[in-house]
Amino acid sequence: MHLFWILFSYEWRHFRAAKGLVLMCGLLLVSGLYGIYYGTTEIERQRQHLAALPELTRRNVAELKVKFPGPADAGDIGYYHTAFAVHHPDPWAALSLGLRDVNPSYVKLRLLGLQNQLYATDNTNPMKVLSGNFDLAFVLVYLFPMLIIALSFNLLSSEREEGILVLLLAQPVRPATVLAAKLAFRLTLVLALALLLSGVGMLWAGVPLDGRIGTWLALTVLYCLFWLAVALVVAALQRPSAVNAVALLGVWLLLVVLVPSLLNLGVAAARPVPQGIELTIRQREEIHAGWDRPKAQTMNRFFALYPQWRDTATIRERFVWRWYYAFQHLGDVAVAPQATAYAQGLQQRYNLVEQLNLLSPAINVQSSLNALAATDLPSHLAFQRSATRYHDSLRAFYYPFLFRKVEFTHADYAQEPTHTFTSHPELATTYRGLLKLLLSVAAVYALGALLLRVRSINPR
Amino acid sequence: MIHSIAQKEFVSILRDRRFGVLSVLVLALLLAATLVGRASYRTLQQERVLAQSTVNEQFRNQPARHPHRVAHYGSFAFRPKSGLSLLDSGVDTFTGSAVYLEAHQQNSVNFSQAQQSGSLIRFGEMTVAFVLQLLVPLLIIFLCFGAFTQERETGTLKLLLSQGLTMRQVAWGKVRGYSQAVALVVAPALALAATLLFTGEEFASGADLAARLTLFVLGYAVYFFLFVVGSVVVSATQASSRAALIMLLGFWIVSGIILPKATANLGASLYPTITKAQMDADVHEQAQHGINGHDPHDKRAEALKASLLKKYGVDSEEKLPVSLAGVQMAAGEEYSAKVYQQHFAALNATYERQNRLSDWAGLLNPYQAIRPLSMGLAGSDFTHYVHFQQAAEAYRYGLVQRLNGLQASMGPGDKERRLDAHTWHELPVFSYQTPALAWALPHLLLPMGALLLWAGLLSWLGFRLIANTTVA
Repeated sequence: MHLFWILFSYEWRHFRAAKGLVLMCGLLLVSGLYGIYYGTTEIERQRQHLAALPELTRRNVAELKVKFPGPADAGDIGYYHTAFAVHHPDPWAALSLGLRDVNPSYVKLRLLGLQNQLYATDNTNPMKVLSGNFDLAFVLVYLFPMLIIALSFNLLSSEREEGILVLLLAQPVRPATVLAAKLAFRLTLVLALALLLSGVGMLWAGVPLDGRIGTWLALTVLYCLFWLAVALVVAALQRPSAVNAVALLGVWLLLVVLVPSLLNLGVAAARPVPQGIELTIRQREEIHAGWDRPKAQTMNRFFALYPQWRDTATIRERFVWRWYYAFQHLGDVAVAPQATAYAQGLQQRYNLVEQLNLLSPAINVQSSLNALAATDLPSHLAFQRSATRYHDSLRAFYYPFLFRKVEFTHADYAQEPTHTFTSHPELATTYRGLLKLLLSVAAVYALGALLLRVRSINPR
Repeated sequence: MIHSIAQKEFVSILRDRRFGVLSVLVLALLLAATLVGRASYRTLQQERVLAQSTVNEQFRNQPARHPHRVAHYGSFAFRPKSGLSLLDSGVDTFTGSAVYLEAHQQNSVNFSQAQQSGSLIRFGEMTVAFVLQLLVPLLIIFLCFGAFTQERETGTLKLLLSQGLTMRQVAWGKVRGYSQAVALVVAPALALAATLLFTGEEFASGADLAARLTLFVLGYAVYFFLFVVGSVVVSATQASSRAALIMLLGFWIVSGIILPKATANLGASLYPTITKAQMDADVHEQAQHGINGHDPHDKRAEALKASLLKKYGVDSEEKLPVSLAGVQMAAGEEYSAKVYQQHFAALNATYERQNRLSDWAGLLNPYQAIRPLSMGLAGSDFTHYVHFQQAAEAYRYGLVQRLNGLQASMGPGDKERRLDAHTWHELPVFSYQTPALAWALPHLLLPMGALLLWAGLLSWLGFRLIANTTVA
């Protein structure tokens, strides 16, 4: 054991002497801190945007109060009034932004048909979303493997190439101890950096003290262990340093770049999603046909769904709001199967990726972190379902005014339902990811151990 | 003699088993990306063409309606894919494909592919451009990092120079040899892509496409040349193969992975984007109260009514030969469109400011020069997207104003009446033409200049550096 610590401390001296590697660690630390800064400011900005929305609603109401100074027809109010369904980020979102920049964090809703409002996007710079987010998860998933590769590509080869390995192994020391000390040193260094950054990130983002801290740290540690295991396997093949570097970079390229992009193609082909646009076109057809259909036909279809309003007065006017909102809603009802199929199709795509992410620990860790931070597709779909329920509650609020012909007074604005939704972490996904990662790590270490057993370390 | 060195490098690369494996891999990826790109191009294009013709048919076959109803019924504009986007899909995946065109407002372009997939899409897409921009340089690095260091390590460099050659000549020979090898890998895939482009019936194979493809190939040729020369220079100036390899790989990671993301994110932090909700509220505010805040909508409408009554010399709305509502609708649309235009221009200016950091980084980082050049030539960059957005808005405005004109000509009491179904047959439908290369070129001067500058500097400074290195 004493010997182990001597070797360990020599690795430390060696590392300190290698200016390039120290510089690289420093760069990684800076990148990590920038990632945390970027993630937290981005989420803070989203929070500010969401916090500004009630003010917009307030201005809208103030304008309506001027426009309709006395008691008004609720139909007018429903038409001109805008409300917002808001998707608040989880504090963890700052560390793993996921798709929070691609998908909007709020939806503007009026009492009109839902389906042509639900998919509106926010202003986003396409070049920026193409480049992606420089958050802590990116630094962990993309850049940490690079550091591990740089530290370990010459695990044994540099000593062999410099002729030191012969001298070293001539001492009364087992090759396994040498290798263990080298790996242990690198592991300590990498984990120190990873845990330091994670800790800083958690404090900076102000995450709640719950089990997710342990899960995040476990994912981080296991992911670092995975890449060290890959380095061990490559070292066990006992090839020259340059070959090792190429091989390790090849593995990185394969797992972090090629498998994800190929998987993306495969999943898109295997799970075709019905075009979202089709349902908005269909809904428009349905709604506008409402103007031309006999009013009694529209109302009877509506009353079949909402029998509680059946006993209301027969419509004889040329235009009346309750008829207008009835065919708006019938437009949504007509495309309800397509809307469900669309959301389910997206969810199935996501599920298939989750099943296949054993192929690449990088995808696994990225999607597990996003699930933990609740920033992936399922969170957005949950938000859309919540926004749909909110739209339902808005209709439920306005329908009595419309069908019972109750006048809408200034006091009624305050009674209107409001919406708030905070994403829930998909912990089941994260735990499955953790388990799969554990399997990957075990498999690669087993391979490394097997290789070392088959071919003992050759000092020359 | 340079020729023999080039020949020697070329032949020994071909005999290298590692090169064989790597180049077959890269070639396979290139071919696969080309085929996949074409397949997805076809699917998307067919979907969009079909959807566009469906909505056009629906628009023309409307029953008798009041024109303002038709303006609210509106239409959709679908963005067709540009021919070369099968090689480089650029920002297309992240921009929406369809925009709903209706009276009174300008809607966002919705339903991007990125919104229809999980976060897997953020790992990047397998396109020809991706292979050419990131993987081929990596192949070049692997080929060239030992160009000089290996000769030094085996002592053959001295022998070579004792033949009366200068370092500069040896370096040029090597650059030529390696370039030939790279061309051997890339050319078949590009030839396939060109064949697919020019034989596929769905591609409008014109002079414009040929010119774009030529520039595309030339741009990448310069880009690869940069990496070959750069790798040879690094190899000549570093003490060991290992040091050269580490340095080159470090450059690849910083330039291809870290810098593009960092500059894009920094740009977005420096120049915040206004939210759509805020922008819509501001537009509404200005349309209601006037752009300067002292010209309210009601007053404008009143003034318009008074001037119309005066113009036709009548004393009431009912006696006007035109529908007052129609004329007011047209004036309102003109005003609100102007307000919208100002806000959209400001938004696009914000995006451009955000992207500027990235654009100028092209001077420091060849990857950030080839990327905008490649997308720009493929017609899948931000500028082409804005062109589509503006074309859709121009069509929307024209259509709505024509409908408002129809309404005005119906005379007073138009709300009780409808226009005949055949009226809608005579209205134009949306059709979009990707702009010509000449339109796109001015936006691409910076990346082109940056690439050429790099090529010039590397050939001049780099070779001077090589000439001054020690032999041993």
